[in-house]
Amino acid sequence: MTQASVAGGPAAAAAEAAIEMCSVRVGEALFGIPIMEILEILDAPATRPVPLAPAHIGGLVHYRGEILTAVSLRSLLGLLPHTKPPDLLVFDGKDGDGRDGKGKDGYFGLLVDAVGEVLTVTAEEFEPNPSTLDDSRKALFAGAYKLENGLLVMLDPARFDPVKLSQ
Amino acid sequence: MLRANLLTFSQVLSIFPDKPGVDDLIREFLIESQDGLDRMEQCLTELEERPQDAELLAEIFRSVHTIKGTTGFLGFLRLESLSHAGENLLGLLRDRKLEANGEIITALLGLLDGLRAILQSIEATESEGEAGQDAAIIERLRELADGSQVKASAAAVSAKKGKAPAGEEPAVAHSGAAESTLRVDIGLLNRMMNLVGELVLTRNQILQSNSAEAGFAPLARRLDMVTADLREAVMKARMQPVSHVFSKFPRLVRDLSQQLGKPVRLELQGQETELDKSLLEAIKDPLTHSVRNAIDHGIEAPEVRQAAGKSPEGLLRLSARQQGSYVVVEVTDDGGGIRVERIRDKAIERRLITAQKAAQLSDRELLQLIFLPGFSTAEKVTNVSGRGVGMDVVRTNVERIGGKVELDSRPGSGTTLRLSIPLTLAIIPALIVRSRGQNFALPQGALFELVHLSAGQAREEIEWLENAPLYRLRGRLLPLVFLDRLLAQTEAGGDAGCYIAVLNADGRRYGLVVDGLADPEEIVVKPLSAVLKGIGMFSGATVMGNGEMALILDPGAIAVRAGVSLNADEQDPPDTEQASAVSGPEFLLVEAGGEEAALPLEDILRIERIPRTRVERVSQRPVLRFEGSLLPLEDRVGLLEAAASRDSEITVVVCRDGGRHVGVTVSQVVDVASGAPLMHAGTNIVATEVTLLKERVTGVIDVAQIPELPEPVEIAG
Repeated sequence: MTQASVAGGPAAAAAEAAIEMCSVRVGEALFGIPIMEILEILDAPATRPVPLAPAHIGGLVHYRGEILTAVSLRSLLGLLPHTKPPDLLVFDGKDGDGRDGKGKDGYFGLLVDAVGEVLTVTAEEFEPNPSTLDDSRKALFAGAYKLENGLLVMLDPARFDPVKLSQ
Repeated sequence: MLRANLLTFSQVLSIFPDKPGVDDLIREFLIESQDGLDRMEQCLTELEERPQDAELLAEIFRSVHTIKGTTGFLGFLRLESLSHAGENLLGLLRDRKLEANGEIITALLGLLDGLRAILQSIEATESEGEAGQDAAIIERLRELADGSQVKASAAAVSAKKGKAPAGEEPAVAHSGAAESTLRVDIGLLNRMMNLVGELVLTRNQILQSNSAEAGFAPLARRLDMVTADLREAVMKARMQPVSHVFSKFPRLVRDLSQQLGKPVRLELQGQETELDKSLLEAIKDPLTHSVRNAIDHGIEAPEVRQAAGKSPEGLLRLSARQQGSYVVVEVTDDGGGIRVERIRDKAIERRLITAQKAAQLSDRELLQLIFLPGFSTAEKVTNVSGRGVGMDVVRTNVERIGGKVELDSRPGSGTTLRLSIPLTLAIIPALIVRSRGQNFALPQGALFELVHLSAGQAREEIEWLENAPLYRLRGRLLPLVFLDRLLAQTEAGGDAGCYIAVLNADGRRYGLVVDGLADPEEIVVKPLSAVLKGIGMFSGATVMGNGEMALILDPGAIAVRAGVSLNADEQDPPDTEQASAVSGPEFLLVEAGGEEAALPLEDILRIERIPRTRVERVSQRPVLRFEGSLLPLEDRVGLLEAAASRDSEITVVVCRDGGRHVGVTVSQVVDVASGAPLMHAGTNIVATEVTLLKERVTGVIDVAQIPELPEPVEIAG
């Protein structure tokens, strides 16, 4: 499996037979992110809040010499802050920030309540967002996989790039 | 395993930024041609003074020849025909069949501009643009070349007597230099700088950790030294000599002096002084502005100069030198200086200041008005300068990169504009301040002084005019900005008093009220993502020595956001000057070994708390490595020996004494106060070694008395 074919999004991913998804939990819901797109998972890193920042910005996180901006999935979903420090998924914002001069590293992070196990799903289990889903959710979710004991909501990391979210 | 692969992939990406479209070969060609043309421009202006210089001619010939050679190969026909026309003329010059004169140099400069335009077009659109645009330049070059044929035969004889063709000899030296240098992608350098920053942080954490392991301390010290050296080396890699910027001025000065009919001689000094590449870019425009101003407004017309008994040729000097952690760039002209009365009248006329206000200002303060937006004294608007944009832009641009601008004018004999530029942008000294439990970094460059108010004082001494908080700083009202309110921080704050950081950002003077202070630190500036930059309060973020993160405050942006106005009476440095006129010079009151002493405030650069272990010794004298140079320490009462343990910290007041810096160890800093002069009994001689401070006679430490180090050793860099 190549990096490029997965980055093509859910449609391309659906064509492959088995996909490894990293499951994450936020509130009651279970989400899945293709494991190939995750650069690194940090266990409850120190976050530094940014005053006056848009509500969905969870704070700054120190990652390998860079300071990356982390988006809080909890606040995106309109949930109240959790008491336990969140875990962080690090992504490479392919055409995100960092282009305006200093260093190319357009990393960004997504804060989730907890990172769970890796699940293997198949393309047949995938279904796009139902038409009845709220528009604000349609913008965030990329569809869902039908698991035996519930739904695994598919997330496309590119949609969580803080620069894009703020546009 | 899998993850490791991914990381490598992303690292590769970050080292090799995408290179879309433009072929590597063309890219290489563009860079080399640009370099060649830059050299050519420099040589052409030098040629004017030394028209016989064979080496210059050879160099110019080579630049054009190289372009021509490569273009044929790459298929750029327009470029080829233009460079061919130039090469013909240059060939004649090189072979001494023709002598360079003003006319020829102008035509060659025209050729240079033509070549540059085509290169730009190739860079932007990958095509040469329309052919035929260069007809005029080619025609002119041909005319000049043909005109020479008549004299050619005579000249040719003498040329043949010359040694080997001038072109070859320097070419060898040139390629030798090329072998020992290497072109490096700036992205890679930035990444190295980042990693070094990371190493600095890790080192700080290691130094702070206490390991009982035997041999840990020397290892940590070694790591400390290696890290410092590595940081310096990487910073050096980003440095370029200022000649990269200076080299464009001979041409500019030549053009302007012809345009304005003022003969001007340009002197360049300290071209080898090095500055971070990004900063070099940033000072290009301010310098250009200043040079234009100096020639247009500063230097007088030749008749006027002669009438004043000066040489009809004006002198413009550009100089650069390193001073501590700054590079000082000066633009000096020997023109008429700035007439303060004219500045005052213009400022009143343009309603930048009221007449009453103007009457109260000293000459030096009036001079500062020139930096106000919308200011111009030019009687007529020329296309060189005088449109009322200029000096304020110069100042804003320089202050944006943490620099300072000063102006000195000597009526009748000239003006000096001094730009002080920090050596690097990536690492800056900052004071860590706290607001509602969060850390923020405040760049030292904008910080003038700190005032501590206890909870009671804060209630009494902060005054309100409607909803504008104010503080009386030595009798003058200082607008205050509460950081917690500005950032809409809702966390409960303690009631333990506060600090006012007195800031001066782009001429906006205000006090930033914060809850607390931590130690000053050298911070590594990390860029913020565009979303957070958009907030407009923070210029970046940093990771501090203890691993915590801090946002870097942007004093200028905060002033604008809080509505602190930019007006004449908030200019620097009126209040220190006025205060000193009333009550004498100001002193820092310190306590060392139970005895109070005073240090002149204007000589003080920084107050540092440093670990005792950082003090080293040179021939028994305590010294401190400070910003790349050795700082002799004055330890009057033996505080260094008295320090309880090796791990304890000492306070060092860093003072300026003429060209050098010295440090004075003190137990603690007590206060700032103005001193009243004391006369020696029965005389009118003011005692210099004592002053009356807070109603007490206090000894003044004379920093000039601190002896030089036996051998003034400069650490490389």
